[in-house]
Amino acid sequence: MTAPAALARRAAPVFACIGLLAVWQVASLVLKNDSFPTAIEAIRAIPDILGDKESLINILASLRRMALGFGVAVLVSIPLGLLMGRSRAVAAFFNPLLMVIYPVPKAALMPIIMLWLGVGDITKTLVIFLGVSLPVIYHSFEGAKAVEEKMLWSGAAMGLSPGQRLVRIVLPAALPEILTGCRTGLVLALITMITSEMIARQSGAGNILFNALDMGQYDTVFAMIIIVGAMGICLDAIFERVRARLVRWSEPQFDMPLSFS
Amino acid sequence: MTSQLRSTSIMLGLAPIVLVIALWQSLVSFGFAPAVLLPPPGYVFSRLLQQLMTWTFQQEIAATLIRLFAGFAIAVVLGVSIGIAAAASPGINAVVRPIVRVLAPLPKVALYPALLLLLGFGHGSKITLVAADALFPILLSTYYGASTVEQKLIWSAMAAGTPRYEILFKVVLPAAMPSILTGCRIGLVISCIVVFLAEMITSTDGLGHVLVTAARTFQAVDMFVPLITISLLGLILNVLLGAVRSYLLRGFPEA
Amino acid sequence: MKVVPSRSSEWVKPVMPKKPASAIIEIERVSQVFQTSARKDHVALSDISLTIEEGAFVSILGPSGCGKSTLLYVVGGFVNPTSGSAKIKGRTITGPGPDRGPVFQEFALFPWKTVLGNVMYGPRQQGVRTTEAEAQSRALIEMVGLKGYENFYPKELSGGMKQRVALARTLAYHPEVLLMDEPFGALDAHTRTRLQNDLLNIWERDRKTVLFVTHSVDEAVFLSDKVVMMSKSPGRIREVIDIDLPRPRRRSELLLDPRYQKYVVDIERMFDEVDETGALL
Repeated sequence: MTAPAALARRAAPVFACIGLLAVWQVASLVLKNDSFPTAIEAIRAIPDILGDKESLINILASLRRMALGFGVAVLVSIPLGLLMGRSRAVAAFFNPLLMVIYPVPKAALMPIIMLWLGVGDITKTLVIFLGVSLPVIYHSFEGAKAVEEKMLWSGAAMGLSPGQRLVRIVLPAALPEILTGCRTGLVLALITMITSEMIARQSGAGNILFNALDMGQYDTVFAMIIIVGAMGICLDAIFERVRARLVRWSEPQFDMPLSFS
Repeated sequence: MTSQLRSTSIMLGLAPIVLVIALWQSLVSFGFAPAVLLPPPGYVFSRLLQQLMTWTFQQEIAATLIRLFAGFAIAVVLGVSIGIAAAASPGINAVVRPIVRVLAPLPKVALYPALLLLLGFGHGSKITLVAADALFPILLSTYYGASTVEQKLIWSAMAAGTPRYEILFKVVLPAAMPSILTGCRIGLVISCIVVFLAEMITSTDGLGHVLVTAARTFQAVDMFVPLITISLLGLILNVLLGAVRSYLLRGFPEA
Repeated sequence: MKVVPSRSSEWVKPVMPKKPASAIIEIERVSQVFQTSARKDHVALSDISLTIEEGAFVSILGPSGCGKSTLLYVVGGFVNPTSGSAKIKGRTITGPGPDRGPVFQEFALFPWKTVLGNVMYGPRQQGVRTTEAEAQSRALIEMVGLKGYENFYPKELSGGMKQRVALARTLAYHPEVLLMDEPFGALDAHTRTRLQNDLLNIWERDRKTVLFVTHSVDEAVFLSDKVVMMSKSPGRIREVIDIDLPRPRRRSELLLDPRYQKYVVDIERMFDEVDETGALL
């Protein structure tokens, strides 16, 4: 690929953002709806939100909970997933339970957990933790399951104990798949965070959105959407950078992001 | 796997589910948690059965299902056609790829307030949110499946006299089917989750609304019932799609 | 170049009236360059000219990376040559067509269709009525030895059986030229010999033109009227060898025939040379 082509490829998402904002601008001008501000009006409202000390603290608190929930989920889920992938008994033990939990809307647990633990940070972090765990477990499981058996035989022949084989062979071999799971989990952490705040309506970024909606501050609503959207895109892009570095050796992966709630 | 091994693994799999229910029961029985906060499992399940028989609850389920299926159907149609088109045409690909890169990691639920403002509080905004959330996994896996179709499969069909535009339907679409159905499976579960959350955030009917109503009046048992219902719906739909999948993919290895 | 069986062999059924061999495929100065990275080009084929006569069984032999498959794809119309042209019956090849039927090493069967469905695909595409297409296809499936497997899916068949289906699928639309791309390369040695024998039997019925890519010297000598030896980096034709052995060929007789043995030894030596020079580059 020639240099300008590579540059165009890099810049394409930026053009896409500009294009989407332009479509928004035109649509709002055409619709002339009071509750649908133009893209420019929404962007103008962003500094107000970020300048406001209380909203800023709210957003940062949201992010902190998200980071904590995500971190703990990853630390618990990767070992569990790897064990499930390498031991048929562990997989048989956990699989049905996970299958039952899989379709439960995690953010919907918010009101129930609130009932037990109150509206504090623990509840919100726990919900994020639950949301992130499943995809990370699933992808670690798939990754560990796909590890070439003969690679482990070679390891055993070299005198590695089962524990060492798990850490020194299975973990690196499954890393590309694990990181795919983490990437999904990261976007999911953000989604769960926003959703649970929308449901609980106590504090955080999700709450700002609906408060503004209730008070008819439509440009704030849309500005907040831009902020949340930008968070998602940035987190995903940063993580993708990290991922690409960590697994440089693996086959170049499909380069569109996979995300879902 | 021999039948004995299979039954052992089923037993092993049931163990944690039984354990969870036993723990739940004992928490209530030994007085660690008051029944107001944590109703005993037997009570929750009998309440669930009782509710499932009532006309009003069935209507809530119907409202949820309508939104779910409408949103999912839109996502399937759009996802499969855009995915195939992006794989088939470099021009479309150049446009779709960056837009997808931007929109896929965007938390769609954040758009919900905007959808409420634009489409109102009825079905429209919820169906759109479901479609927006389920679209990307379907689109991405369709694109992935369609762009990795074995070149020689296409060549074989072309040599047999298939015109280029027919290749898309006669080779690319069926060859990408395993991947498309994987995307649909993910999309379906997402649809279940999202429709419920949207109803929780703002609605006047549907299962999500039932949960919120119960939460406002601190009726713990009525909070569990809709949650279990939507999860059961998710499981049932997943099994149904699995059956469709194994029928459609009967020729494919490992399906 | 002679394509007919040697006159000296008495036991040949001399049924083939020698009609003037007319060229069916003409490859004229074809070059194929692939851009592998921004600065590097890979010359897969360099200035190849070759004429293939109607009814001939021609093998293209060479070390891996010599562009022999690429040459086949050019004739198939699957890739366009960077320069030069390939013609079939005087018409320039611009794309794939039912006059040239490929059989790939990877079988490339449609996994969503049964054996019968795969074989019927070509005739149906040609507009043959379903009942008729089915009758023809069943006959072909029987001919390749798979009677009873009509409703099996490809995944349920062994490699050798899959390749039989692939051959039947291609024969079903009556191509004038068979393009075989290392068709037996993925099979075990025993299956391979059986398929070679069966292919020869089928071929001897109607003597379709066959262009057969392989890297096995005895396979090429056993099957062909003519062996095209290629060298690599860049892909060039090193030599064209007429295989003057009687037909119909029987493996048991041929393996003991000193002429066959000489061909194999000579061509193997030549193969070593082209591979050597290629490896040194």
